[in-house]
Amino acid sequence: MTAPLLRADDVAVRYDGAAVAAPGGATLTVGRGEVVLLLGPSGCGKSTLALATNGLVPQSVPATVSGRLTVTGTIDPAATPTPRVAARVGMVFQDPDVGLVAGTVLDEVCFGPENQRLPRDEVLARGQDALRRTGLWDRRHENPDALSGGGRQRLAIACALALGAPLLVLDEPTANLDPVGTEEVYATLRELVADGDHGVLLVEHDLDACAGLVDRVVVLDRGGRTVMTGTAREVLAERAGELLDLGVWLPVATLAAWHLREAGVPLGGLPLTPAELTVALDSALDDVPRLPAPAGTTPPRPAGSPSAASPAGDAVVEVSRLTVTRPTSARTRGQRRVTVLDDVSLTVRRGDFVAVVGTNGAGKTTLLRAVAGVTPPPRGTVKVAGLDPARADVRELARRIGFVFQNPEHQFVRYTVAEELAHALEVQRTPAGRIAERVEEMLARFGLTEHRDRHPFLLSGGQKRRLSVGTALVAGAEVLALDEPTFGQDRERAAELLDILAALNAAGTTVLVVTHDLQLVADHASHVVVLRDGRLVAHDRTERVLAGDALIEAGLRLPPLAEATRGLTRHPEWRAVTRVADLTAVRA
Amino acid sequence: MTDPYAPVASRRFLHRLNPLAVVAAVAPAVIVLVAVRDLATPLVLFALATTLLLAGAHVPARYAALAFGLPLAFTVVAAVSFGLWADPDAVPGTPTLFEAGSYRFTVGSWLAGLAISLRLGALLAVVLVPGFATTGPDLVRAAVQNLRVPYRIGYTAFAAFRFVPRFGYELAVIRAAHRVRGVAGGRGPLGGVRRWAGYIVPLLAGAIRHAERVALAMDARAFGAYPTRTERYLVPFRAGDAAFVGVCWAVTAVVVAFAQPVLGLPSPTPVV
Repeated sequence: MTAPLLRADDVAVRYDGAAVAAPGGATLTVGRGEVVLLLGPSGCGKSTLALATNGLVPQSVPATVSGRLTVTGTIDPAATPTPRVAARVGMVFQDPDVGLVAGTVLDEVCFGPENQRLPRDEVLARGQDALRRTGLWDRRHENPDALSGGGRQRLAIACALALGAPLLVLDEPTANLDPVGTEEVYATLRELVADGDHGVLLVEHDLDACAGLVDRVVVLDRGGRTVMTGTAREVLAERAGELLDLGVWLPVATLAAWHLREAGVPLGGLPLTPAELTVALDSALDDVPRLPAPAGTTPPRPAGSPSAASPAGDAVVEVSRLTVTRPTSARTRGQRRVTVLDDVSLTVRRGDFVAVVGTNGAGKTTLLRAVAGVTPPPRGTVKVAGLDPARADVRELARRIGFVFQNPEHQFVRYTVAEELAHALEVQRTPAGRIAERVEEMLARFGLTEHRDRHPFLLSGGQKRRLSVGTALVAGAEVLALDEPTFGQDRERAAELLDILAALNAAGTTVLVVTHDLQLVADHASHVVVLRDGRLVAHDRTERVLAGDALIEAGLRLPPLAEATRGLTRHPEWRAVTRVADLTAVRA
Repeated sequence: MTDPYAPVASRRFLHRLNPLAVVAAVAPAVIVLVAVRDLATPLVLFALATTLLLAGAHVPARYAALAFGLPLAFTVVAAVSFGLWADPDAVPGTPTLFEAGSYRFTVGSWLAGLAISLRLGALLAVVLVPGFATTGPDLVRAAVQNLRVPYRIGYTAFAAFRFVPRFGYELAVIRAAHRVRGVAGGRGPLGGVRRWAGYIVPLLAGAIRHAERVALAMDARAFGAYPTRTERYLVPFRAGDAAFVGVCWAVTAVVVAFAQPVLGLPSPTPVV
């Protein structure tokens, strides 16, 4: 029995200047040939522990590390220079672009071994092996920028492999990727651990993507102490209730089954994947023959919303034959311009919650920006509450549609939170008394009253996001457009934001959101717009889109619950169930 | 955005030289152009630099206008604008081209303007030679390998090449965001300054965070593990490079010594 690749005994890390240690006492091992998933509530120190495995904490980020951490049996990463630890621990970060230095895929992958002063033949052999394992060898002469998001993250894995590291540590590697890219990355990892030489420590919030790959799960509590260790099934399925109490997310299939079991549906062991849920549900529902399938498979409409009374009229956003082109970058030859949106027409009615989905580069953000006038569309192609964003001035447009950028910091223009909210009203030349009143109202509504005098940049991530939504709405916009608001965020923050959006929508605000998170779409959206290569594939009510094939055609995947229920053979009346919230209402 | 890493397919001789040789070869000419005051020296250097670029480097078709047209166009246009400020008797006894009230624009004014614009145009033509003949990454490699610049400094420049397009994109997003928020800043240069001041905080915040992440990622890739690293692309400084530098320096010296006496162009009194 050889030593594990990574062993942590009661490891605590306290950043210089921080009051408490996070993690507070993590204990885990990673052996060859296994994938260990590190779970825990937000702020428990998962990423910090990941950075400690190759000594970046405390060497590059000052901190105090206690407990015992060893890599490949003998190396103490805190006492060995990080660049030397790199031969033992390969690190893959959330943003695949941060490590890029070279001009071709091959040069990129050779950068690490060159730093290790290996002979040139050995450098090339390492590079070739790493690229073959990640399926990138045929693209070795291309610029890394030419790869898709999933491809660049596979390149990051190849770069870590080329260093000769037996242990790979991945911190949220798929947070920036679309579903296809996520699958690519996990397929690559699966092949890699199959050879038995490598071990993987994974920090990941998208459990649906990785549940099938994970061998063991280690769970940290709020204080960052290890509270559970076991196989994926032992932890995720058998202790699901405890995980929920800790604020740790479950795979959607497990969560759905947990709700059903709480409702009295006789499910034995909880499933981890949609396919397992399908099988479990088909047989379990046999035992409760009189249980009706949950109704109301779309979010309820606000009772007083105008569209409930006049469903045919009241279009608030109209897009007609919108085509957007942009110049090609200098390095591609041939055509001068590429078509980003191709002849898109659609109508959004007041009170809708519309999700715009598609793979990276399908034109989602371009569509949203054209609608909100961020990038003015061609004249006469878009109408928002009766206004053409191509002609309207900023002030008029802001009264009708608010835009929330992916990074909230981009849109902050003032020096305190209160001024930031007042800004939009000052632009509207609202009387001072009214401004003060509205600002107080918004501060209270978004839970920012006590931060009113802080600089917007000093807020926490969740607070920044709430402020950006507040500033977009303060001028009275009836349409709110958000560009990937949950991109790169953990589930807790994403859930907080979605609660806000659901409440706004219930109060009558029309919401347009670009997102990659398809379970979010199923749970919250009333309508879905599906784009593929700039063309509109579908625009319909969410349940119809989920029942059809538009998502698959667009290169996406079904959200996990819809995938599970679609496969049901004995209980077809349950096939339309796609929202987790519907299951919480089931009473067997 | 051009790709600083795009391979140069051309076998023209400037691309085969060590990038440091190309830079060193034109350096004296740059100094001369800053110092001289006559018309003949910049004129000859201008012609030689353009010829060298035309003969020795591959200039992509879409940059041809920039490479050959811009220095010439600048020289011609700026000669008139500089000339407007010049002494009409800078070269005594030249004919008057036009008059407005007591103001006279003479051939002498134009020549005085030309003396400045020609130097600047020639300077542009000269620096375009290494500009088109070398790539940033090769220059960095050559500096590390031949000048013993520590590789930690050199390769940080590589990461910087990657920063540029990223910042361009980020700045475009910030500008769009501020425009949507109704940040006008007012008209004129002062409004412009105010607008740009507003972009700096978010841009810097993003830049610092990105730089920190890049630094972590570089350490994680064994950057700095040893005092030296393996170089797969060797950029040797050969005898031919030395010869090229020598020839260029000699030609520059000859131009400085003989251009003015041989051509005998008029010497206008300087504008400033």
